[in-house]
Amino acid sequence: MRPAAGSTAPERPADQGRPTDLVTRLQGTAVPLGLRSAIVLTLVSIAGLAMFCWPLLTHHGPSNTGHVTDAPIIFAVTLPLLVLVVLAEFADGGMDSKALAMLGVLSAVDAALRPVGGGTGGVETVFFLLILAGRVFGPGFGFVLGCTSLFASALLTAGVGPWLPFQMLCSAWIGMGAGLLPRRVRGAREVVMLIGYGVLAAYLFGLLMNLFNWPFLAGTDIAGHANLAFVPGDSLWSNLHRFLIYTLVTSTGGWDTGRAITNAVAIALLGRPVLTLLRRAARRASYDPVRT
Amino acid sequence: MKRLPGVVHPVAWWLWAIGMAVAASFTTNPLLLLILIGVSCFVVVLRRGSAPWSRSLRVYLLLGLAIVVVRVFFRCFLGAAGGGPVLLDLPRIPLPQWAAGITLLGPVRLSDLLAGLYDGLHLAGMVVCVGAANSLANPKRLLKVVPISLYDIGTVVVVAVSVFPQLADSIGRVRRAQRLRPAREGRWHVVRRTIVPVVADALDRSLLLAAAMDSRGYGRRAATSARTRTLVSVVTVAGLIAVCIGVFGMLDDQAPLLFRAPAFVTGLLLAAGGLVFSSSERTVTRYRPDAFDLRSAAVAASGLAAGALMLVATRQAPAHLSTPVEPAQWPVVDLLPLVAAMIGVLAAVVSPRPVLHEEVTA
Repeated sequence: MRPAAGSTAPERPADQGRPTDLVTRLQGTAVPLGLRSAIVLTLVSIAGLAMFCWPLLTHHGPSNTGHVTDAPIIFAVTLPLLVLVVLAEFADGGMDSKALAMLGVLSAVDAALRPVGGGTGGVETVFFLLILAGRVFGPGFGFVLGCTSLFASALLTAGVGPWLPFQMLCSAWIGMGAGLLPRRVRGAREVVMLIGYGVLAAYLFGLLMNLFNWPFLAGTDIAGHANLAFVPGDSLWSNLHRFLIYTLVTSTGGWDTGRAITNAVAIALLGRPVLTLLRRAARRASYDPVRT
Repeated sequence: MKRLPGVVHPVAWWLWAIGMAVAASFTTNPLLLLILIGVSCFVVVLRRGSAPWSRSLRVYLLLGLAIVVVRVFFRCFLGAAGGGPVLLDLPRIPLPQWAAGITLLGPVRLSDLLAGLYDGLHLAGMVVCVGAANSLANPKRLLKVVPISLYDIGTVVVVAVSVFPQLADSIGRVRRAQRLRPAREGRWHVVRRTIVPVVADALDRSLLLAAAMDSRGYGRRAATSARTRTLVSVVTVAGLIAVCIGVFGMLDDQAPLLFRAPAFVTGLLLAAGGLVFSSSERTVTRYRPDAFDLRSAAVAASGLAAGALMLVATRQAPAHLSTPVEPAQWPVVDLLPLVAAMIGVLAAVVSPRPVLHEEVTA
């Protein structure tokens, strides 16, 4: 196998006044994030974000609403392909068998954690392990883990549906974001930072998933008695206003806050020991710098 | 080499389910939707195995019920404005100005209730049909047919699905070890003392698995030529740029025609082409591949026929595919849509009886 982009990094001596930072040494080696992967990832993220936000982005005249009913179906069909393109890109960029086995096992643990909360009252237990693993193994690993863990848990419990690619992309962003957090922060401050990120991620996830299901659940209102529904052809501002009220009324109080509290409590209680475990596994997995 | 008895190709089940979901997407007639949901449940109950994913039907049905309830709730209690007889006379509560002039409650009329019910049933029908495939198709076998460029990601999911049952075993061992030691009380302490060893055990297992995969030569492949790699990158990136342009173009009336659907479709084709092309120099052998035999083809055909017949019905007999809610009428079912909704049940006839776990171990 060709050597991965950053695999020479572990050779760096520990002479910069502090012990060699394992995360710095490991940076990106679990799933390398090369230039090509980064470009593909950015493009897919732009397209994916547009597919989430389409109700706010439409510029249709009030008479021409034909596309509005097609758009969600077209996007729900095409987003899986885009997610697959990014994943294939990461796989092609040199994932070795250790990264692969680690991804598989962590996805299984995540899938097992998911029914613990069952999503009732927003108690979502998927994200805390995703955030911690993304933190330790880097943004590329976090992205792939976000996709595979949601996919595996959807296969094992129930959850395959048009929403799945959207959930996968959302949690992939969460995992990647955790990997992109500043690396120097350590110790108790690290846990505090991750708690803050977990709370933020919980609300953002809720907001984006609401944006996805808003036209479905509140209905697309073409007849004109606008209330909380999406009105095609209306201005960005009034649709955004209506959407924010929708999300405030339906989920911010219950689901999103529940999810944020779950993330915060789980990271506060389990953050330190699980981070230690993951770092130890990373150290053991990268014991030989020359990967064949 | 002996084939596993009684296995329908997983792709066939997915094609069947997608055909059923397409059929459900063409109608809002509650009787037809209930027939489609009933047919899906019937086939699942007769033909599912005993694996963990086979028990998911109930969850999908509950999810469908939740969708119907939410949809009716939105329609009836958040500013209902339908017609017909008043069912429940509630006072209107206008919210303050910052809330975009939204009113809550108000008189609930029959057409609101029915419209919410039909819309919800429409979505629930599609969800249950897709859920049926999830209960019927073995994901591990399904992932064997992914294109080679996604082989690694497919392996990750297969590892996850295979490790999943072992976690219960792992939890059992940890609990047994804990019972042998004096334990401090406290609920959170128990959680921490369970999750941490289980995760540690799983991570150790992943390293063992990686070593096993390495020793069996997993992932060895010839280096791809630089030319191929450049070509694949150019095609993929160009395709994705076109997709980005196309997404925004399709949402905008003012965009030039070329930047709308044509850009989107071309971009998708290029991106898919990159996926296929990147795998062209890699060969992966499959152990005991599933055959897409006559029975699988028949299963797939019965589902696809449901979708196709319903599509024909939208042209030939569109009269009763959607039920009017104002004034409310009793839903009527024509012959052609009825056949379309019922034909999926043939899958249960042509597919073999599943091999249950208890019979294998016995």
